Amino acid sequence: MLDFDVTRRERQRDAALAGGVLALAFFLWLMPPDWQGVVRANMRATALRPFLATQEAIGARRALGVDVVQLRAQRDSLGAVAAAQGTLAEENARLRATLGLRSRLAEEYIPADVIQVGLDPAESTFLVNVGAADGVREGSIVLTPEGLLGEIWEVDEHRAQAIDWTHPEFRASAMTADGEVYGLVEVRRGRYREEDVLALTGASFHSDIGPGRRVVTSGRGVYPRGILLGTVLGIDEADTGWRKSYLLLPAVRPEAVRTVLVRVGQDQSDLSDVWNVSAPPDTASNPDTAGGG
Amino acid sequence: MAGRRGKFWLFVAILVVLHFTLHLTLGLGRSAPDLLTVAALLGARRVPGAGAALLGAVLGLLNDVLSLTSFGASAVALTVACYLGSRTRDLFEGDSLLFGALYLFLGKWLHDTLYFLLGLSRGGTDDAVNVLLTNAPIAAAYAAGAGLLALILFRSAGGER
Repeated sequence: MLDFDVTRRERQRDAALAGGVLALAFFLWLMPPDWQGVVRANMRATALRPFLATQEAIGARRALGVDVVQLRAQRDSLGAVAAAQGTLAEENARLRATLGLRSRLAEEYIPADVIQVGLDPAESTFLVNVGAADGVREGSIVLTPEGLLGEIWEVDEHRAQAIDWTHPEFRASAMTADGEVYGLVEVRRGRYREEDVLALTGASFHSDIGPGRRVVTSGRGVYPRGILLGTVLGIDEADTGWRKSYLLLPAVRPEAVRTVLVRVGQDQSDLSDVWNVSAPPDTASNPDTAGGG
Repeated sequence: MAGRRGKFWLFVAILVVLHFTLHLTLGLGRSAPDLLTVAALLGARRVPGAGAALLGAVLGLLNDVLSLTSFGASAVALTVACYLGSRTRDLFEGDSLLFGALYLFLGKWLHDTLYFLLGLSRGGTDDAVNVLLTNAPIAAAYAAGAGLLALILFRSAGGER
Protein backbone atom coordinates (compact mmCIF):
# COMPACT_ATOMS: atom_id res chain seq x y z
CA MET A 1 0.00 0.00 0.00
CA LEU A 2 2.83 2.32 0.96
CA ASP A 3 4.71 1.47 -2.24
CA PHE A 4 1.62 2.13 -4.27
CA ASP A 5 1.22 5.60 -2.69
CA VAL A 6 4.87 6.46 -3.25
CA THR A 7 4.65 5.34 -6.88
CA ARG A 8 1.47 7.32 -7.40
CA ARG A 9 3.00 10.45 -5.84
CA GLU A 10 6.10 10.09 -8.00
CA ARG A 11 3.98 9.75 -11.09
CA GLN A 12 1.95 12.80 -10.22
CA ARG A 13 5.16 14.75 -9.63
CA ASP A 14 6.60 13.49 -12.90
CA ALA A 15 3.44 14.43 -14.80
CA ALA A 16 3.43 17.88 -13.20
CA LEU A 17 7.07 18.46 -14.20
CA ALA A 18 6.36 17.28 -17.74
CA GLY A 19 3.39 19.67 -17.82
CA GLY A 20 5.71 22.47 -16.77
CA VAL A 21 8.12 21.64 -19.60
CA LEU A 22 5.23 21.59 -22.07
CA ALA A 23 4.04 24.96 -20.77
CA LEU A 24 7.55 26.33 -21.29
CA ALA A 25 7.60 25.00 -24.86
CA PHE A 26 4.21 26.62 -25.50
CA PHE A 27 5.51 29.87 -24.04
CA LEU A 28 8.42 29.80 -26.50
CA TRP A 29 6.00 29.16 -29.35
CA LEU A 30 3.70 32.01 -28.31
CA MET A 31 6.46 34.52 -27.49
CA PRO A 32 6.47 37.80 -29.42
CA PRO A 33 8.53 37.48 -32.64
CA ASP A 34 11.13 39.96 -31.40
CA TRP A 35 11.88 37.85 -28.33
CA GLN A 36 11.97 34.72 -30.46
CA GLY A 37 14.49 36.46 -32.71
CA VAL A 38 16.81 37.05 -29.75
CA VAL A 39 16.63 33.38 -28.70
CA ARG A 40 17.22 32.24 -32.29
CA ALA A 41 20.19 34.56 -32.77
CA ASN A 42 21.82 33.34 -29.55
CA MET A 43 21.31 29.68 -30.44
CA ARG A 44 22.64 30.23 -33.97
CA ALA A 45 25.75 31.84 -32.51
CA THR A 46 26.32 28.97 -30.06
CA ALA A 47 24.77 25.53 -30.56
CA LEU A 48 24.48 25.63 -34.36
CA ARG A 49 27.57 27.68 -35.07
CA PRO A 50 29.84 24.69 -35.86
CA PHE A 51 27.34 23.34 -38.42
CA LEU A 52 26.79 26.70 -40.11
CA ALA A 53 30.51 27.50 -40.15
CA THR A 54 31.29 24.09 -41.64
CA GLN A 55 28.70 24.60 -44.35
CA GLU A 56 30.24 27.94 -45.30
CA ALA A 57 33.69 26.33 -45.38
CA ILE A 58 32.41 23.50 -47.59
CA GLY A 59 30.88 26.06 -49.94
CA ALA A 60 34.20 27.90 -50.17
CA ARG A 61 36.10 24.66 -50.82
CA ARG A 62 33.63 23.66 -53.52
CA ALA A 63 34.42 26.90 -55.32
CA LEU A 64 38.16 26.22 -55.04
CA GLY A 65 37.69 22.62 -56.13
CA VAL A 66 36.50 23.55 -59.62
CA ASP A 67 40.05 23.95 -60.90
CA VAL A 68 41.15 20.61 -59.49
CA VAL A 69 38.22 18.88 -61.11
CA GLN A 70 39.11 20.50 -64.41
CA LEU A 71 42.77 19.48 -64.17
CA ARG A 72 41.89 15.89 -63.42
CA ALA A 73 39.44 15.86 -66.25
CA GLN A 74 42.06 17.16 -68.68
CA ARG A 75 44.43 14.44 -67.58
CA ASP A 76 41.91 11.62 -67.73
CA SER A 77 40.04 11.96 -70.97
CA LEU A 78 38.70 14.33 -73.54
CA GLY A 79 35.17 13.39 -72.64
CA ALA A 80 35.78 14.26 -69.02
CA VAL A 81 37.32 17.56 -70.16
CA ALA A 82 34.20 18.37 -72.09
CA ALA A 83 32.04 17.56 -69.11
CA ALA A 84 34.19 19.65 -66.77
CA GLN A 85 34.24 22.55 -69.21
CA GLY A 86 30.50 22.28 -69.54
CA THR A 87 30.14 22.62 -65.77
CA LEU A 88 32.68 25.43 -65.73
CA ALA A 89 30.95 27.21 -68.58
CA GLU A 90 27.67 26.94 -66.73
CA GLU A 91 29.32 28.30 -63.56
CA ASN A 92 30.94 31.05 -65.62
CA ALA A 93 27.69 31.99 -67.28
CA ARG A 94 25.96 32.15 -63.92
CA LEU A 95 28.65 34.35 -62.37
CA ARG A 96 28.79 36.56 -65.46
CA ALA A 97 25.04 36.94 -65.33
CA THR A 98 25.25 37.94 -61.66
CA LEU A 99 28.07 40.38 -62.37
CA GLY A 100 26.25 41.68 -65.41
CA LEU A 101 23.15 42.24 -63.35
CA ARG A 102 25.18 44.08 -60.75
CA SER A 103 26.72 46.33 -63.37
CA ARG A 104 23.23 47.28 -64.50
CA LEU A 105 22.15 47.99 -60.95
CA ALA A 106 23.34 50.80 -58.74
CA GLU A 107 25.98 50.22 -56.06
CA GLU A 108 23.09 49.58 -53.71
CA TYR A 109 23.37 45.83 -54.21
CA ILE A 110 26.07 43.46 -52.96
CA PRO A 111 26.75 39.89 -54.14
CA ALA A 112 26.29 37.00 -51.72
CA ASP A 113 26.46 33.21 -51.66
CA VAL A 114 23.32 31.26 -50.82
CA ILE A 115 23.43 28.64 -48.06
CA GLN A 116 20.54 26.21 -48.43
CA VAL A 117 18.94 25.08 -45.16
CA GLY A 118 17.69 21.49 -45.06
CA LEU A 119 15.72 21.65 -41.79
CA ASP A 120 11.95 21.18 -42.09
CA PRO A 121 11.04 24.15 -39.84
CA ALA A 122 13.21 26.38 -42.06
CA GLU A 123 11.42 25.37 -45.25
CA SER A 124 11.20 28.11 -47.90
CA THR A 125 14.03 30.07 -46.31
CA PHE A 126 17.75 30.33 -47.03
CA LEU A 127 20.84 31.94 -45.56
CA VAL A 128 23.19 34.39 -47.25
CA ASN A 129 26.80 35.01 -46.21
CA VAL A 130 26.36 38.77 -45.76
CA GLY A 131 24.90 40.49 -42.73
CA ALA A 132 24.50 43.68 -40.77
CA ALA A 133 28.24 44.40 -41.07
CA ASP A 134 27.78 44.58 -44.86
CA GLY A 135 24.78 46.89 -44.61
CA VAL A 136 22.08 44.22 -44.95
CA ARG A 137 18.95 44.85 -42.90
CA GLU A 138 15.52 43.32 -42.40
CA GLY A 139 13.44 43.87 -45.50
CA SER A 140 16.40 43.94 -47.91
CA ILE A 141 15.36 42.37 -51.20
CA VAL A 142 17.24 39.46 -52.78
CA LEU A 143 17.64 39.33 -56.56
CA THR A 144 19.04 36.91 -59.11
CA PRO A 145 19.78 37.56 -62.78
CA GLU A 146 16.42 35.89 -63.53
CA GLY A 147 14.31 38.03 -61.21
CA LEU A 148 13.07 38.36 -57.63
CA LEU A 149 14.00 35.58 -55.20
CA GLY A 150 12.83 36.89 -51.83
CA GLU A 151 13.37 39.17 -48.88
CA ILE A 152 15.68 39.24 -45.85
CA TRP A 153 13.81 38.59 -42.60
CA GLU A 154 16.50 38.17 -39.97
CA VAL A 155 19.99 39.64 -39.85
CA ASP A 156 23.07 38.57 -37.86
CA GLU A 157 26.43 40.34 -37.97
CA HIS A 158 27.86 38.36 -40.89
CA ARG A 159 24.89 36.27 -42.00
CA ALA A 160 21.23 36.80 -42.80
CA GLN A 161 18.18 34.63 -43.28
CA ALA A 162 15.65 35.29 -46.02
CA ILE A 163 12.35 33.89 -47.23
CA ASP A 164 11.99 32.96 -50.88
CA TRP A 165 8.79 33.29 -52.90
CA THR A 166 7.63 29.76 -51.94
CA HIS A 167 7.10 30.96 -48.36
CA PRO A 168 3.39 31.22 -47.43
CA GLU A 169 3.90 34.78 -46.21
CA PHE A 170 5.54 36.05 -49.40
CA ARG A 171 3.49 38.79 -51.09
CA ALA A 172 4.47 41.23 -53.84
CA SER A 173 2.41 43.98 -55.36
CA ALA A 174 2.62 43.26 -59.09
CA MET A 175 1.51 44.25 -62.57
CA THR A 176 1.83 43.00 -66.10
CA ALA A 177 4.94 44.39 -67.79
CA ASP A 178 2.84 46.79 -69.85
CA GLY A 179 1.14 48.09 -66.69
CA GLU A 180 -2.39 47.15 -67.83
CA VAL A 181 -3.32 44.80 -64.99
CA TYR A 182 -2.39 45.10 -61.31
CA GLY A 183 -2.69 42.57 -58.52
CA LEU A 184 -0.92 40.77 -55.73
CA VAL A 185 1.50 37.90 -56.35
CA GLU A 186 1.61 35.04 -53.85
CA VAL A 187 2.58 31.38 -53.85
CA ARG A 188 0.37 28.47 -54.89
CA ARG A 189 1.88 25.54 -53.01
CA GLY A 190 2.16 22.17 -54.72
CA ARG A 191 2.58 18.77 -53.07
CA TYR A 192 6.33 19.35 -53.11
CA ARG A 193 8.28 22.62 -53.18
CA GLU A 194 9.42 21.85 -56.74
CA GLU A 195 5.75 22.04 -57.80
CA ASP A 196 5.17 25.48 -56.27
CA VAL A 197 4.17 28.25 -58.66
CA LEU A 198 3.15 31.86 -58.26
CA ALA A 199 -0.32 33.35 -58.69
CA LEU A 200 -1.32 36.88 -59.63
CA THR A 201 -4.44 37.43 -57.51
CA GLY A 202 -6.94 40.26 -57.33
CA ALA A 203 -6.82 41.11 -61.02
CA SER A 204 -10.02 42.73 -62.31
CA PHE A 205 -12.55 40.27 -63.76
CA HIS A 206 -12.54 41.86 -67.23
CA SER A 207 -8.77 41.51 -67.50
CA ASP A 208 -7.54 39.04 -70.07
CA ILE A 209 -3.85 38.20 -69.72
CA GLY A 210 -2.62 35.70 -72.27
CA PRO A 211 -0.04 33.00 -71.53
CA GLY A 212 3.56 34.20 -71.83
CA ARG A 213 2.92 37.74 -70.61
CA ARG A 214 5.48 38.82 -68.04
CA VAL A 215 4.54 39.98 -64.56
CA VAL A 216 6.79 42.36 -62.61
CA THR A 217 6.71 44.17 -59.28
CA SER A 218 4.62 47.33 -59.41
CA GLY A 219 6.66 49.39 -56.93
CA ARG A 220 3.68 49.85 -54.62
CA GLY A 221 5.07 47.70 -51.81
CA VAL A 222 8.52 47.00 -50.42
CA TYR A 223 9.89 45.92 -53.80
CA PRO A 224 11.04 48.49 -56.39
CA ARG A 225 9.11 48.61 -59.65
CA GLY A 226 10.10 46.42 -62.58
CA ILE A 227 11.60 43.28 -61.01
CA LEU A 228 10.66 40.18 -62.98
CA LEU A 229 8.43 37.73 -61.06
CA GLY A 230 7.27 35.30 -63.73
CA THR A 231 5.28 34.70 -66.88
CA VAL A 232 1.57 33.93 -67.09
CA LEU A 233 0.63 30.26 -67.55
CA GLY A 234 -3.15 30.67 -67.56
CA ILE A 235 -6.20 31.44 -65.42
CA ASP A 236 -6.12 30.04 -61.88
CA GLU A 237 -9.67 30.91 -60.84
CA ALA A 238 -12.40 33.45 -61.51
CA ASP A 239 -14.26 34.71 -58.47
CA THR A 240 -17.96 34.92 -59.50
CA GLY A 241 -17.73 38.04 -61.58
CA TRP A 242 -15.44 40.04 -59.34
CA ARG A 243 -11.83 39.01 -59.67
CA LYS A 244 -9.53 36.72 -61.57
CA SER A 245 -6.34 34.95 -60.56
CA TYR A 246 -3.62 33.88 -62.97
CA LEU A 247 -1.00 31.20 -62.46
CA LEU A 248 2.57 32.29 -63.17
CA LEU A 249 5.66 30.34 -64.11
CA PRO A 250 8.20 31.75 -61.60
CA ALA A 251 11.23 33.49 -63.05
CA VAL A 252 13.47 32.00 -60.34
CA ARG A 253 13.61 28.45 -58.95
CA PRO A 254 14.93 28.83 -55.36
CA GLU A 255 16.48 25.36 -55.18
CA ALA A 256 18.82 26.16 -58.09
CA VAL A 257 20.12 29.51 -56.83
CA ARG A 258 23.74 29.69 -55.59
CA THR A 259 24.62 33.39 -55.84
CA VAL A 260 22.40 36.43 -55.37
CA LEU A 261 22.44 40.19 -55.02
CA VAL A 262 21.18 41.70 -51.77
CA ARG A 263 20.04 45.31 -51.60
CA VAL A 264 21.86 47.34 -48.96
CA GLY A 265 20.55 50.80 -49.93
CA GLN A 266 17.17 52.45 -49.85
CA ASP A 267 16.87 53.15 -53.56
CA GLN A 268 13.34 52.48 -54.85
CA SER A 269 14.01 53.52 -58.44
CA ASP A 270 12.40 51.67 -61.36
CA LEU A 271 14.37 48.55 -62.32
CA SER A 272 12.42 47.82 -65.50
CA ASP A 273 15.48 48.50 -67.65
CA VAL A 274 17.49 45.84 -65.80
CA TRP A 275 15.20 43.09 -67.04
CA ASN A 276 14.15 45.05 -70.12
CA VAL A 277 10.59 44.17 -69.28
CA SER A 278 8.96 46.64 -71.63
CA ALA A 279 10.48 44.88 -74.69
CA PRO A 280 8.75 42.01 -76.49
CA PRO A 281 9.16 38.70 -74.61
CA ASP A 282 11.33 36.99 -77.22
CA THR A 283 14.11 39.60 -76.93
CA ALA A 284 13.84 40.21 -73.21
CA SER A 285 13.90 36.76 -71.70
CA ASN A 286 17.67 36.92 -71.22
CA PRO A 287 18.91 40.24 -69.87
CA ASP A 288 22.42 39.65 -71.19
CA THR A 289 21.37 39.09 -74.78
CA ALA A 290 18.75 41.80 -74.60
CA GLY A 291 21.44 44.41 -74.21
CA GLY A 292 19.80 45.94 -71.24
CA GLY A 293 22.80 47.97 -70.15
CA MET B 1 25.49 -0.53 -16.10
CA ALA B 2 26.72 3.07 -15.97
CA GLY B 3 29.00 2.33 -18.93
CA ARG B 4 26.12 0.95 -20.97
CA ARG B 5 24.03 3.99 -20.12
CA GLY B 6 26.87 6.30 -21.13
CA LYS B 7 27.25 4.48 -24.44
CA PHE B 8 23.54 4.82 -25.12
CA TRP B 9 23.53 8.58 -24.54
CA LEU B 10 26.65 8.91 -26.68
CA PHE B 11 24.71 7.06 -29.40
CA VAL B 12 21.82 9.56 -29.01
CA ALA B 13 24.26 12.48 -29.21
CA ILE B 14 25.81 11.04 -32.39
CA LEU B 15 22.34 10.82 -33.96
CA VAL B 16 21.71 14.49 -33.11
CA VAL B 17 25.05 15.62 -34.56
CA LEU B 18 24.45 13.47 -37.65
CA HIS B 19 21.02 15.05 -38.11
CA PHE B 20 22.39 18.58 -38.17
CA THR B 21 25.33 17.54 -40.33
CA LEU B 22 23.03 16.03 -42.94
CA HIS B 23 20.32 18.69 -42.84
CA LEU B 24 22.21 21.87 -42.05
CA THR B 25 25.85 21.41 -43.04
CA LEU B 26 25.13 19.39 -46.18
CA GLY B 27 21.68 20.93 -46.76
CA LEU B 28 20.14 17.60 -47.78
CA GLY B 29 16.61 18.44 -46.63
CA ARG B 30 14.04 15.67 -46.92
CA SER B 31 16.39 13.34 -48.72
CA ALA B 32 17.95 12.71 -45.29
CA PRO B 33 15.94 11.06 -42.48
CA ASP B 34 14.80 12.96 -39.39
CA LEU B 35 17.39 11.54 -36.99
CA LEU B 36 16.64 14.23 -34.40
CA THR B 37 13.15 12.84 -33.75
CA VAL B 38 14.60 9.31 -33.79
CA ALA B 39 17.20 10.33 -31.16
CA ALA B 40 14.57 12.05 -29.00
CA LEU B 41 12.16 9.09 -29.15
CA LEU B 42 14.87 6.54 -28.37
CA GLY B 43 16.13 8.64 -25.46
CA ALA B 44 12.58 9.15 -24.16
CA ARG B 45 12.21 5.41 -23.45
CA ARG B 46 15.17 5.52 -21.04
CA VAL B 47 14.06 8.38 -18.76
CA PRO B 48 10.97 9.32 -16.71
CA GLY B 49 8.19 11.38 -18.32
CA ALA B 50 9.50 14.77 -17.18
CA GLY B 51 13.01 13.98 -18.40
CA ALA B 52 11.63 12.80 -21.72
CA ALA B 53 9.58 15.99 -22.08
CA LEU B 54 12.68 18.07 -21.33
CA LEU B 55 14.74 16.11 -23.85
CA GLY B 56 12.05 16.66 -26.48
CA ALA B 57 11.79 20.37 -25.69
CA VAL B 58 15.55 20.95 -25.93
CA LEU B 59 16.03 18.99 -29.16
CA GLY B 60 12.87 20.51 -30.66
CA LEU B 61 14.12 23.97 -29.84
CA LEU B 62 17.41 23.22 -31.58
CA ASN B 63 15.45 22.18 -34.66
CA ASP B 64 13.48 25.43 -34.49
CA VAL B 65 16.49 27.73 -34.50
CA LEU B 66 16.15 28.60 -38.19
CA SER B 67 12.34 28.66 -38.20
CA LEU B 68 11.18 32.21 -38.96
CA THR B 69 7.42 31.73 -38.58
CA SER B 70 6.88 28.67 -36.41
CA PHE B 71 9.58 28.97 -33.77
CA GLY B 72 8.73 26.67 -30.84
CA ALA B 73 6.33 24.42 -32.78
CA SER B 74 8.84 21.61 -33.12
CA ALA B 75 9.67 21.96 -29.41
CA VAL B 76 6.01 21.58 -28.45
CA ALA B 77 5.46 18.64 -30.81
CA LEU B 78 8.59 16.80 -29.67
CA THR B 79 7.81 17.45 -25.99
CA VAL B 80 4.42 15.74 -26.35
CA ALA B 81 5.79 12.90 -28.50
CA CYS B 82 8.66 12.20 -26.07
CA TYR B 83 6.45 12.31 -22.98
CA LEU B 84 4.03 9.83 -24.54
CA GLY B 85 7.03 7.79 -25.71
CA SER B 86 8.28 7.59 -22.16
CA ARG B 87 4.88 6.45 -20.95
CA THR B 88 4.84 3.58 -23.47
CA ARG B 89 7.12 1.73 -21.03
CA ASP B 90 4.01 1.23 -18.89
CA LEU B 91 2.41 -0.65 -21.74
CA PHE B 92 5.34 -2.30 -23.53
CA GLU B 93 8.43 -3.34 -21.66
CA GLY B 94 10.07 -5.13 -24.57
CA ASP B 95 13.01 -3.88 -26.61
CA SER B 96 12.55 -5.88 -29.79
CA LEU B 97 13.56 -4.36 -33.12
CA LEU B 98 10.03 -4.78 -34.49
CA PHE B 99 8.59 -2.84 -31.56
CA GLY B 100 11.35 -0.25 -31.94
CA ALA B 101 10.53 0.31 -35.60
CA LEU B 102 6.79 0.59 -34.93
CA TYR B 103 7.44 2.93 -32.01
CA LEU B 104 9.65 5.22 -34.12
CA PHE B 105 7.15 5.18 -37.00
CA LEU B 106 4.20 6.16 -34.79
CA GLY B 107 6.25 8.67 -32.79
CA LYS B 108 7.49 10.45 -35.89
CA TRP B 109 4.00 10.46 -37.43
CA LEU B 110 2.59 11.94 -34.20
CA HIS B 111 5.33 14.60 -34.18
CA ASP B 112 4.63 15.58 -37.79
CA THR B 113 0.87 15.66 -37.16
CA LEU B 114 1.24 17.91 -34.12
CA TYR B 115 3.72 20.12 -35.98
CA PHE B 116 1.29 20.47 -38.89
CA LEU B 117 -1.65 21.30 -36.59
CA LEU B 118 0.42 23.97 -34.82
CA GLY B 119 1.36 25.38 -38.23
CA LEU B 120 -2.30 25.47 -39.26
CA SER B 121 -3.10 27.63 -36.27
CA ARG B 122 -0.48 30.09 -37.57
CA GLY B 123 -2.08 30.29 -41.01
CA GLY B 124 -0.38 27.31 -42.70
CA THR B 125 -1.80 26.61 -46.14
CA ASP B 126 -0.58 23.09 -46.92
CA ASP B 127 -3.14 20.45 -47.83
CA ALA B 128 -3.95 18.38 -44.69
CA VAL B 129 -4.64 15.11 -46.52
CA ASN B 130 -1.42 15.41 -48.49
CA VAL B 131 0.67 16.24 -45.44
CA LEU B 132 -0.87 13.87 -42.89
CA LEU B 133 -1.65 10.87 -45.07
CA THR B 134 1.08 11.03 -47.71
CA ASN B 135 4.14 13.02 -46.65
CA ALA B 136 4.04 12.24 -42.91
CA PRO B 137 3.79 8.43 -43.20
CA ILE B 138 6.57 8.38 -45.80
CA ALA B 139 8.80 10.53 -43.61
CA ALA B 140 7.88 8.37 -40.59
CA ALA B 141 8.73 5.15 -42.43
CA TYR B 142 12.04 6.66 -43.58
CA ALA B 143 12.91 7.80 -40.05
CA ALA B 144 11.87 4.42 -38.58
CA GLY B 145 14.00 2.59 -41.13
CA ALA B 146 17.01 4.78 -40.42
CA GLY B 147 16.43 4.49 -36.67
CA LEU B 148 16.18 0.72 -36.90
CA LEU B 149 19.45 0.55 -38.82
CA ALA B 150 21.11 2.79 -36.24
CA LEU B 151 19.77 0.61 -33.41
CA ILE B 152 21.08 -2.55 -35.05
CA LEU B 153 24.51 -0.94 -35.47
CA PHE B 154 24.48 0.28 -31.88
CA ARG B 155 23.49 -3.13 -30.50
CA SER B 156 26.01 -5.00 -32.59
CA ALA B 157 28.73 -2.54 -31.56
CA GLY B 158 27.79 -3.07 -27.91
CA GLY B 159 27.53 -6.84 -28.26
CA GLU B 160 23.80 -6.82 -27.50
CA ARG B 161 21.19 -9.00 -29.17
